[in-house]
Amino acid sequence: MNDPIQTVNSPEDITGRAAGLREVVRQTEFSPGAALELLELWAATLTEEGAEALPGAAFLRLWLRRGTLEPLLLRELGSGAFNGGWQTDGRAKLRAFPLGIVGHWPAGNIEIQPVLSLVCALLGGNGCLVRVPGGLVDVTRQMMQQLQKLDRDGRLTGRIALITFDHTRHDLHEAMARQVDGAMIWGGAEAVTRVRALPFPAWARLAVFGPRLSVAAMDAAAWNDPVARPAWCQRIARDVWQFDQQACSSPQVLFLERGEGAEVIRFVEELQRAFAAENRAHPRDQIHPALTSAICLARAQWLLGPATHQAWFPPTPDWTLLLGEGDDIPKPTQGRTLSVLVVDDLPDAIAKFDGTVQTLGLAIGDAAREDTLAQAAGRRGVDRIVKLGRMHVFGSPWDGVDLIRPMVRMVRHVPSQDPYQNQTKSSCK
Amino acid sequence: MSTLLEIEERIGALLAGEPYRLDPAQHEATVLALLKDELAGAGERHRPLRQYIESWPGDYRRCPRIADLPFLPVGVFKNNPPLALVPPAEITRTLASSATTGQVPSRVVLDAATAKRMTKGVMTVIRDFIGPARRPYLVIDTPDTLAGRGELGARGAAIQGLRSFATEVVCGLSADATGQLRLELETLRECAARWRDGEVLVYGFTHVIWHQLVQPLAAAGLTLPLPNARILHSGGWKRLQAQAVTKDVFARGVAAAFGCPAERVIDFYGMVENVGVVYPDCEQGNKHVPAFAALIIRDPLTLAPVAVGQQGLVQVCSVLPTSFPGHLVLTEDLAELIHEDGCPCGRRGTAFRFVSRMPKAEVRGCGNVEIARDRPAAANA
Repeated sequence: MNDPIQTVNSPEDITGRAAGLREVVRQTEFSPGAALELLELWAATLTEEGAEALPGAAFLRLWLRRGTLEPLLLRELGSGAFNGGWQTDGRAKLRAFPLGIVGHWPAGNIEIQPVLSLVCALLGGNGCLVRVPGGLVDVTRQMMQQLQKLDRDGRLTGRIALITFDHTRHDLHEAMARQVDGAMIWGGAEAVTRVRALPFPAWARLAVFGPRLSVAAMDAAAWNDPVARPAWCQRIARDVWQFDQQACSSPQVLFLERGEGAEVIRFVEELQRAFAAENRAHPRDQIHPALTSAICLARAQWLLGPATHQAWFPPTPDWTLLLGEGDDIPKPTQGRTLSVLVVDDLPDAIAKFDGTVQTLGLAIGDAAREDTLAQAAGRRGVDRIVKLGRMHVFGSPWDGVDLIRPMVRMVRHVPSQDPYQNQTKSSCK
Repeated sequence: MSTLLEIEERIGALLAGEPYRLDPAQHEATVLALLKDELAGAGERHRPLRQYIESWPGDYRRCPRIADLPFLPVGVFKNNPPLALVPPAEITRTLASSATTGQVPSRVVLDAATAKRMTKGVMTVIRDFIGPARRPYLVIDTPDTLAGRGELGARGAAIQGLRSFATEVVCGLSADATGQLRLELETLRECAARWRDGEVLVYGFTHVIWHQLVQPLAAAGLTLPLPNARILHSGGWKRLQAQAVTKDVFARGVAAAFGCPAERVIDFYGMVENVGVVYPDCEQGNKHVPAFAALIIRDPLTLAPVAVGQQGLVQVCSVLPTSFPGHLVLTEDLAELIHEDGCPCGRRGTAFRFVSRMPKAEVRGCGNVEIARDRPAAANA
């Protein structure tokens, strides 16, 4: 079995791989239905021994299932997506065709992002040229090897070229950009800005995901409910733990709306228990020293601040809860460090969102009030408003952008013969 | 709780003794007890610090090891105003770290008593390495670095710290109007002729010695014949690593410049947040911890102390400061624990080797928001 990820050293390497992909896309018809079947089988292999321990495998296993992807495909490309034909649109017909080659620049912090990104473009029938960040090569290789085993005739893998090269090789980034018709770019501010500035063809479509941060919010009816409290805290802990709080959908701050007679400390005690339990279930096996340092600094700076500040943390850098008051989003530390801020009124906090907030995780007792908050959040730039515990569920749209449709061309065919006219003529005979 | 006077006496006793002869267990017990009392005192005088100490997991008063005491990450010393345990009127000097361009320097405040202990601490350590005698002191820096009584940079502080060993002080560099450093070759030649075979103390920042003295002399094919010079240097290797100048290459280059054996070139580790405690290399290439300090190397994953042979984040501990909370400081440096005791050089206690500055974190991905959107981009440029 070939190594699914090739290290490239020259622009010519990239040009050659792109030419091969282009040929496949031009010459072969893509069947979304067949692709979904294969992806479902791939999902099943991620439960096998060895693969199940891969970071993000549990998530990917669910996401690659037909039950997840088919609705996504139908919503974005319409009901005709599966019969390979055209769907009517008034007197016209519409059909999705691939853009061509889609370049993928996944972020280096989410292990499954190369796979998530390429599957989105693949479902549009595109060829995928994926730059795998150095830190994700091993995990991506192991996942892709599972697909290689299933896809012997290359129905999917023939449309995928995974490459890796040092992030400082600007010439290789440029070569990759020149070859693509579309790009899916994920990452932090610096990375996204650098990739966007590459010499893409004038026609290339860019879909940018990130940099964003996410926020959780609860009203007193939710957080002060002694019965529901443990479950809410568990959901928050899960949202914080997944991707080590480094994803754009990871909550960095939890706003608690003040309630009459509600005791914040009770809630924070419960949250501590949930964090400790989540840590026992999913302990880190490594950490960058700079993150340890940042976590220690966040704890100290918080407590060296106003007298109202409180914090809870173990002797390890495993998790941190910083409690205070205020409606400003503090500078995120990441690394399982959650700021819990008490506010008088949740709309005050939402009113300060500046467009950087991607996901708002909510637990609100009153549905009508939640609608009002969602309306306000949407107006202030939030793209996803979800229940706490579901902040990372990768669905469409993401960052306010569809996942498949931006990388397809919707071709419109208005038939030259008017079908109604023909019917009328024949009926007159 | 001990009074400040009692604490002062106990610090004085540690400073007065031999710096590297204490039995490690005795050392741990003595320093632990002193640090607990100093923490209590610091908490009394600084409300936010008390809040931090009291939020620490576990009561520090019952901690069985120095490693369990609440430490501060070094980044808090970048706060403005600097953390102070004394009223502004008692601050006699502020020391600032040598932050590179664009970085915020650390700043620590000294009162007269702390400043005195700092000087004594450096003297006690250095004396153990070069002996007590006073000798001519050649500073590979400019006279400006020594000037100013208010705020003093790391270079100035290190230079001042060795002044007690000097019979006279000569600066080997000058700065032109643009701040460009220039070697005072005539002065150096005159000194070399005058001092000849006598003991001489030379000090400079590592990169300054290399770029402003060793390289120009080598390029000109010149030597300053001072065969009994002791060359101390500090300030880190970051700027020289990029040029592949290793510790060995550096020592040989400096030795060639002075016509002395490379063994007379001593690298020492220190920082303003741990002022008064310096860590010179012993003849085994290890760094040792004096009686009035402690050093813990922590595993970044658990923050637990590492075992011998392992690397981790350095935490420096010192009983010396009473004007700023520099008692237990987690640095951003990585080191390796070589011995818990028993270095062949004869110095007791912890021996370690500096490894590197902590590498910067990798790009943190899609959650790494650097620019607030409502702020115009130009304001962040």
